[in-house]
Amino acid sequence: MAFSTTLYNTFFQRNSVFFSTVFAGAFVFGIGFDTGVTAFYDRWNRGKQWKDIRHKYSETAAEEAE
Amino acid sequence: MAFNGLKKAVTLTPSVRTMPSGVPAAPLLNLAARAPADPHAHGHGASGPRSDVVPRWSGGISRSSSSLVSKSYTTLPSTTPFTARFMHTSVAVKGAPEVPDFSHYRADDTDSNRALSYFMVGSFGLVTASVAKSTVTEFLKTMSASADVLALAKVEVELATIPEGKNVVIKWRGKPVFIRHRTQAEIDEARGTKWQSLRDPESDEDRVKRPEWLIMLGVCTHLGCVPIGEAGDYGGWFCPCHGSHYDISGRTRKGPAPLNLEIPAYDFNDAEGKVIIG
Repeated sequence: MAFSTTLYNTFFQRNSVFFSTVFAGAFVFGIGFDTGVTAFYDRWNRGKQWKDIRHKYSETAAEEAE
Repeated sequence: MAFNGLKKAVTLTPSVRTMPSGVPAAPLLNLAARAPADPHAHGHGASGPRSDVVPRWSGGISRSSSSLVSKSYTTLPSTTPFTARFMHTSVAVKGAPEVPDFSHYRADDTDSNRALSYFMVGSFGLVTASVAKSTVTEFLKTMSASADVLALAKVEVELATIPEGKNVVIKWRGKPVFIRHRTQAEIDEARGTKWQSLRDPESDEDRVKRPEWLIMLGVCTHLGCVPIGEAGDYGGWFCPCHGSHYDISGRTRKGPAPLNLEIPAYDFNDAEGKVIIG
C-alpha cells in the first residue's frame, strides 16, 4: 500500500481522528516553536543578557554557581 | 421534389367556421382592401401598392370558392422531419474531436492528491490552532501582575526574633498579619479542641503548617476590625468591636464572627530562618 493511502487511512479517514491529530499536533508544535525561538534568541544574543553577565556583578550568584 | 409544390393554408385564429379539413372558411375575405391613408406614415405604408410585389409565378395567396389558399412554387428548404434543421449555415466539420483529450492533465494517482489536500488542510488547522492558543494566552498574560507588583506583595519575617508565647503583628498588603509563636501547652489546647462542633469546623492541623507557628490575617471575619491578641474567653483573640472570641488556633468560638480568621499563603525558609508571607 502506498504511503499516501496509509496516511489517509490512518489520519484523514475519520474526522474525529483528524481533529484529534490536529489539536495534538498544535500542542506539540507550540512547545517546539517556543523552544526553538527561545534557543535562537539566546544564541543570537549570547553574552548580552543578564543571565549571561550576572556572575560579574552578583556575588551571591557567583558563589552559588561555584 | 415532391415537397416543392406544397400547399399551405394560412393560419388564422379559429374565430370563423372551420371546414372538416381544418382550413378556416373565409368566403367574404377581400384581398384588395387597403388600410386607410395614414398622414403620419412617412411615405411608406399600407396606402398604395408595395414596390416589392412578389411575382405571381412564385406563388401567392388566392381565394378559392370557400377558403383561402396559399401556393408557393419556388424552392424552399424543406422542413419535414426527414431533414436536419441547422442552427447556422456553415457545415459541420466531420471527424473533428468533440471533447479535447485531457488525459495528459489527469492525475495518475488520485490517492496522493487526496492525501496532500487533507495534509494541507490539517497543517493549516494546526497552525491556526496554535496561533489562536498563543493569542489567548498572551492576552491573558497582560492581565497578570507584573514582577514589581509581585515583589511588593511579599513580606519576610525573621522567626528567631519572636520568642515563644508572643504575638507579632506585621503589615502585609495593607492588612495586619498575626504571627503567634505558640507554646506546647497552647498547641495541645488547640489540637485537643473538638473542632467538629464549632461554627466553622476546621482542625488545627489544617490551619498551620508547623504547630508552633500560627500565621493568619488579623481581620475579624465579622466586619473587619482588628482583634486584640491574648484576650477573650478562649485564650486567643478578641474583637473589641462586636465581641467575637477566637481561640488559640484563630477559630471563631463566640460572638457574631461567622468564619475563622483567614490563613494567608506563606512558606518557611529554613536556610535563613524566615517566613515568607505571600
